Amino acid sequence: MKHKATEEILNGEIVLSVDEIVIKFNLRGKELTAIRGASLDLHKGESLAIVGESGSGKSVFTKSFMGLLDSNGRIESGTIMYKGDNLAKFKTEDDWIKIRGKEIAMVFQDPMTSLNPLKTIGKQVQESIELHQNLKGEEAKKLAIDILSDVGISDSEKRFKQYPHEFSGGMRQRVVIAIAVACNPNILICDEPTTALDVTIQAQILQLLKNLQKKYDLTIIYITHDLGVVANVADRIAVMYAGDIIELGTADEVFFDPKHPYTWALLSSLPQLGIKGEPLYSIKGTPPNLFKEIVGDAFAPRNPKALKIDFVKRPPYFEVTPTHKARTWLLDPRSPKIEPPAMILKMREMDEKWGVSNE
Amino acid sequence: MNKREKLLEVKNLKVEFGKKNNKFVAINDVSFNIYKGETFGLVGESGSGKTTIGRAIIRINPVSGGEILYNGKPISGKIDDDLDKEITKKIQMIFQDPMASLNERAKVDYIVSEGLYNLKNYGSEENRKKIVEQALLEVGLLPEFASRFPHEFSGGQRQRIGIARVLVMEPELVIADEPISALDVSIRAQVINLLSDLQEKKGLTYLFIAHDLSVVRFISDRIAVIHKGKIVELAETEKLFANPLHPYTRSLLSAIPTPNPRLEKNKKIEIYDPSCHKYEDNPPSWVEIEPEHFILANEIELEQYKRMIK
Amino acid sequence: MSTKTINKIADNIDPSLFEFAEYDESKAELTGYSNYSFWRSTIQVFLKNKVAVVLLLIVGLVVLFTLVQPYLPNQKLPNKIYLDPATGLQLRNQSPNAEYWFGTNSIGQDLWARIWSGTRTSLFIGFAVGLFEALVGITIGALWGYVRKLDAVITEIYNVWDNIPTTVVLIILTYIMKPSIPTIIFAMCMTGWLGMARFVRNLIIIIRDREYNLASRCLGTPTSRIITKNLLPYLVSVIMLRMALAIPLAIGNEVFLSYIGMGLPLDIPSLGNLINEGRILMMSPALRYQLLFPAAVISIVTVSFYVIGNVFADSADPRNHV
Repeated sequence: MKHKATEEILNGEIVLSVDEIVIKFNLRGKELTAIRGASLDLHKGESLAIVGESGSGKSVFTKSFMGLLDSNGRIESGTIMYKGDNLAKFKTEDDWIKIRGKEIAMVFQDPMTSLNPLKTIGKQVQESIELHQNLKGEEAKKLAIDILSDVGISDSEKRFKQYPHEFSGGMRQRVVIAIAVACNPNILICDEPTTALDVTIQAQILQLLKNLQKKYDLTIIYITHDLGVVANVADRIAVMYAGDIIELGTADEVFFDPKHPYTWALLSSLPQLGIKGEPLYSIKGTPPNLFKEIVGDAFAPRNPKALKIDFVKRPPYFEVTPTHKARTWLLDPRSPKIEPPAMILKMREMDEKWGVSNE
Repeated sequence: MNKREKLLEVKNLKVEFGKKNNKFVAINDVSFNIYKGETFGLVGESGSGKTTIGRAIIRINPVSGGEILYNGKPISGKIDDDLDKEITKKIQMIFQDPMASLNERAKVDYIVSEGLYNLKNYGSEENRKKIVEQALLEVGLLPEFASRFPHEFSGGQRQRIGIARVLVMEPELVIADEPISALDVSIRAQVINLLSDLQEKKGLTYLFIAHDLSVVRFISDRIAVIHKGKIVELAETEKLFANPLHPYTRSLLSAIPTPNPRLEKNKKIEIYDPSCHKYEDNPPSWVEIEPEHFILANEIELEQYKRMIK
Repeated sequence: MSTKTINKIADNIDPSLFEFAEYDESKAELTGYSNYSFWRSTIQVFLKNKVAVVLLLIVGLVVLFTLVQPYLPNQKLPNKIYLDPATGLQLRNQSPNAEYWFGTNSIGQDLWARIWSGTRTSLFIGFAVGLFEALVGITIGALWGYVRKLDAVITEIYNVWDNIPTTVVLIILTYIMKPSIPTIIFAMCMTGWLGMARFVRNLIIIIRDREYNLASRCLGTPTSRIITKNLLPYLVSVIMLRMALAIPLAIGNEVFLSYIGMGLPLDIPSLGNLINEGRILMMSPALRYQLLFPAAVISIVTVSFYVIGNVFADSADPRNHV
């Protein structure tokens, strides 16, 4: 099932290791637990996609790697190990300056708000180089122009002098990516990098990120709610729900052999898999309120086939394969056997059919 | 096929924004019909003018040329009060962003009854409450939600409140402007199913505006593809997916994300370059290339496209 | 987590729990809290701010006291000139003492009585002007902002009117008309609504094209109801702030008019002419109390309204409600 390349990556070095991290926010006198003990190892050179709906904590989780939590948020417990440092213990801006940009850089959803409208795009890329790569003046400018053409901005010498408003949405996102790459980071976090863009542009930006990953030897974390994006770029997928990673596996494992009922539901409800005239599979209800303490499996109240134990005890991770684990009691040997929903089986069939023609 | 009843006709619609020297043509010479009971999908990228068409039909955006007929009666431009009332009731709209489309300072009860207050057709106060309760149940919400404020609800629930407020009007045509694109993936299916259910139960006609072709494919009977204020291709859904002719349609179709990592990683996307058309001396026209399949093309392209149809 | 620890956790679980639970669809639909009420939450949030509550109490007491003060026992009249029973001369510039709590002024009037009478006058002017500004300003501002056809007309009127300096309008009007409380109120109202109207207009333009207003238009809601139901409720907090600030501003204006001699005649005490009187005597240390007392009252009133207005504006914002 696994791609060879993926296997190589997974045997490789771990660049970032998050263990049992708990993040809380104080909101209007109440406490909200945004991340409830999530763990994750990031391997060098991989693309990991974190999938989840809004409020699942996917953005908060990754923001904690860069010290970008809002001022009312804090890391309650757990560790984030990066190059021997525990980022969870970082307090001052001085600590973070060493990490932000140089080591971990971020691309945000909306390219317009992450660019300075009063500076030429070239200047913005150049500044990022001067700040992080110890190059000055002409040298930095030359590199900036190179990076701009790397991100697919043609005629980059001329466009160096242009302002953000002279660019289209897709082009702006390329500039934002250029600025991130210009920091020469180890890890690039892309927070919904294509959500604000049109479908045809989306695909181009994803292709660009894939190319840059090879060229600059990047480890990329994609944060997205769009399973299409995930399928396109991810080596591994982490599915988040209510502040926890409930399933983690290679892209093939998560798409074709998902184990957690939430992952099933998420995949089943895709309109691409729906049959016209029949109702689409839908998840009832809404995600849980994170102000309250969650007992058991957070997804249980919305899961028609929940077990009694799901309401009592939080499931541990069960290992399916060395690369695939899920937090669901269904994987316990004592649980009744449940077949994954028809949609998942259909997807497998689809793959076998397509899989052959692609080999 | 021709027996289908035309509910809405859009003829050579033109919408312009701005004053004389700073004019922007948002919609240029667009024509289509919507038949009773169908779901008509309108697909395009941001800035293509798809929302403008919807808003021109519901008369938020003024029309600068062409006309819009509803049940054979012109409804664009100045119309008399009775017709205005009738159209307001019969054509309704569901908005994109459930976070922005509900009045945060009003209770759900008021939001859902707003149309009733305007029509003044609900009889007694008791009866109004009953209608609101019924509408909430129909969209899968509990009647006791009426006394709450919108900010207590999640995106999906809010969108359903938006649908309930449309239902009390008992409309015939509902314009759904990207009704699910602001929702979370797990919620989208709820809303799509709800829309389909309501269509079946109440015989609604939908104009479904979206940028996401996979959703439109699932829900629409016919699809029009719009690019920069012009419809470039219009066909029945499966025909369009089987035989996409216009290069823009093809590029859109090729970009649809599939939930399959192996396919997705090897997919080839077609990029649309408007300069592939040679329209300077040979302007395009709106042609029915095969039954119920329309395309914007000039004669030379038409020949090519005809060869492409299997 | 290793498989061993998993087994440890899992071992001591009652096997009967590994059965399907009953599924109640309606339960999945339930959300947080209910019984939300805008005003109740607003008051709750407001009450949490202790400083504002104390200041509100102070303002309340001051208002109440100005109203009941004349009816209390042993009160003197604000305009009566008191004579020394021994000499028969005016009791001029008496320092505060047991008889005259705040002393007397330069012609022997009781300052305590004058200050409360003056506070009553000034607060009345402040409330009257604030209320008028709010009513007219909000009405005109809402129409100005929402009804596009009126925009150009009102903008022109505004431009002309606003270009006449407020002080000039105040001075001319009080000059033409007999100096009296209605004159002062009228003069301040003539100019005060402009700022409010413009303020409301700008706010309305910001929210006018939000989707929920389009939705109301699609439902055929008449403009008047869109303004009252959709637009103004969003502005409650900021309008409250403006209104709270309009009151001390009006009092300040009255002080200013008195300062340039256009204010109320001396037989209608107000904080304005009291301060003006005191100001003249500021240079002789023994008489400074005549400035100190009215200045203290006006400071307390102004600061209180300012703080209350701000805190109330914050608490009327639903984002600050739980």
